[in-house]
Amino acid sequence: MKRFLLLILVLAIAGMPATLFSQEEFIRVTAPGNKPLTLMVAPPVPMDSAPRDAIAREVTELFQFDLTLAGSFTVTTPTVTENRGIRPGEFSFAPWQNAGATLLIKSGYTVNGSTLILEFRLYDVIRERELLAKRYSGNIKELRRMAHTFSDDLLLIVTGERGPFTGKVAFVSKASGNKELYLMDYDGFNLQRLTQNGSINLNPDFSPSGRELIYTSYKKGNPDLYRRELFTGVEARTSSSRGINVTGSWSPDGKRIALALSKDGNSEIYLINRDGKQPTRLTNNPAIDVSPAWSPDGHQIAFVSDRLGKPQVFVMNADGSSVRRLTIEGAYNVSPRWSPKGDRIAYCRQQGDFQIHSINTDGSGDVQLTSQGSNEHPRWSPDGRFIVFSSTRDGRESIYVMRADGSGQIRVSRGKANDSHPTWSVRW
Amino acid sequence: MRKGVFGLAVVLCSGMLFVGGCAKEELVKKDEPVAPSQAPVAQPATQQAQVPTEPVQSQPVKDSTAVNGVVADSQTTVARAPEVKLQTVYFDFDSYVLTQASRDTLYNNAEYLLKKYNGTIQVEGHCDERGSDEYNLALGEKRAKSALNYLTTLGVPANRLSFISYGKEKPVDPGHDEAAWAKNRRAEFVITK
Repeated sequence: MKRFLLLILVLAIAGMPATLFSQEEFIRVTAPGNKPLTLMVAPPVPMDSAPRDAIAREVTELFQFDLTLAGSFTVTTPTVTENRGIRPGEFSFAPWQNAGATLLIKSGYTVNGSTLILEFRLYDVIRERELLAKRYSGNIKELRRMAHTFSDDLLLIVTGERGPFTGKVAFVSKASGNKELYLMDYDGFNLQRLTQNGSINLNPDFSPSGRELIYTSYKKGNPDLYRRELFTGVEARTSSSRGINVTGSWSPDGKRIALALSKDGNSEIYLINRDGKQPTRLTNNPAIDVSPAWSPDGHQIAFVSDRLGKPQVFVMNADGSSVRRLTIEGAYNVSPRWSPKGDRIAYCRQQGDFQIHSINTDGSGDVQLTSQGSNEHPRWSPDGRFIVFSSTRDGRESIYVMRADGSGQIRVSRGKANDSHPTWSVRW
Repeated sequence: MRKGVFGLAVVLCSGMLFVGGCAKEELVKKDEPVAPSQAPVAQPATQQAQVPTEPVQSQPVKDSTAVNGVVADSQTTVARAPEVKLQTVYFDFDSYVLTQASRDTLYNNAEYLLKKYNGTIQVEGHCDERGSDEYNLALGEKRAKSALNYLTTLGVPANRLSFISYGKEKPVDPGHDEAAWAKNRRAEFVITK
């Protein structure tokens, strides 16, 4: 835990000048006309150790994946053969300018035993200036984390908003035969198993800090809500009232959990404290009420109810007042999730298969984002740029990522079993 | 301009990156497997769920043999020659309303529970795969409670009945057509004592 805190601290310090800088440079780094910026990734070069092709390739592919997904760039691996130093003054911009680059990432690495030092530099090729420089040192296993951190920082410099690529995705997988919880990098790497209870485990949701996870499990017989500290593995059964304790959703301030309980007769939305205490009932309706989702300011909650016949998405104030229907079109709308920016709500519509939509919070501007296969469980990346979801388009159910406008859809989970219910944490 | 800003922001993080090390697996005691309340039924075509005579515990059991029970082999279960005859009831899509056929089935189940068997029963509510898994957890419970409530109106003491929803997590037929879905939209009756 201490190491975790230290990392955040050091990165924060390093990030400060970059933030100041980005305010100024954000506007200026634009390509001529309206073309996306051409970002070239120079082959990473060895600095104080022998060449390691695997490292160079992994760094290059990672930047290509992250920054292509980001959508602001055309990312290319250069045809430029210039391969001199990576620091300002050590190489010439001319060949990169001739190749059409707007932005250039240069990387160097040093391997010393199990220690890896990675140095990344971002250049504005047209103005021949360095925009960002970072050096990371750590175990060689942390290569991807170091490079994702630079991707995050690069987006901050270029767009004014940090990237989400160092976040983790928790999800449900049937890899072991039953539904267990797993954790992976957002791009599918570094898969870790979280639960191993042989029961049914559902609906993971990260705390705002990313350090805790709530989920529903049948491991004690009833569908109860559990809260787990990911760094220690310590776990508590947070809600185990009679009936269902499902679809838990952490409030933006981390103090409360909204969930569906049936302890008073039928499924209703409640708030509980993070320790399960002080339950407050928000809905009171003989119909089904499930799947609460907080607005980022914590003032409102979207949820699913079939009080008008079929399941539809409704919105209420966080005290249960002022219930209004959000989705008008479609006969079966479920799984709402509020964008971290607050302006849109992603949800799922059943029309044969399920498709993911997003809609303004006043019910206007409904857009269908997916069309191939059946697509469910939309969850936003913490910066609101992306939506992670599950899709059956390739046969089995897998985890996919897309931009918030539905473009750039790509599979990220690599398992051979059904994977579903992803949720994307803030940076670790 | 702003030389210092363009300069190297060195991040020295020696040995502090941690991804693999921190999210440890299961420091707490491993979960005990839950005994299956009901194994999949072997003859779905008859639309009759047969339950094993032997008591099935609903609480987590210490017995290590329960590990296999999680993915219980339906044939093994059926081989126990069930005597308790509690029939599964079925529902329409996205509905927890009891059909006349369901009421007839429940009447027979109630007769059995009042005259031939005096133990306790857990009513399991299940859904087909089409609905949302989250919504179906609530719908499955509505189904279980519809069946349970009807049994109590027929005179079965409420203290002999409990309920649980499995949503769409435990289909009895893995198929993806209406025939399979119809079998999966159900309430089953499992002996707990």
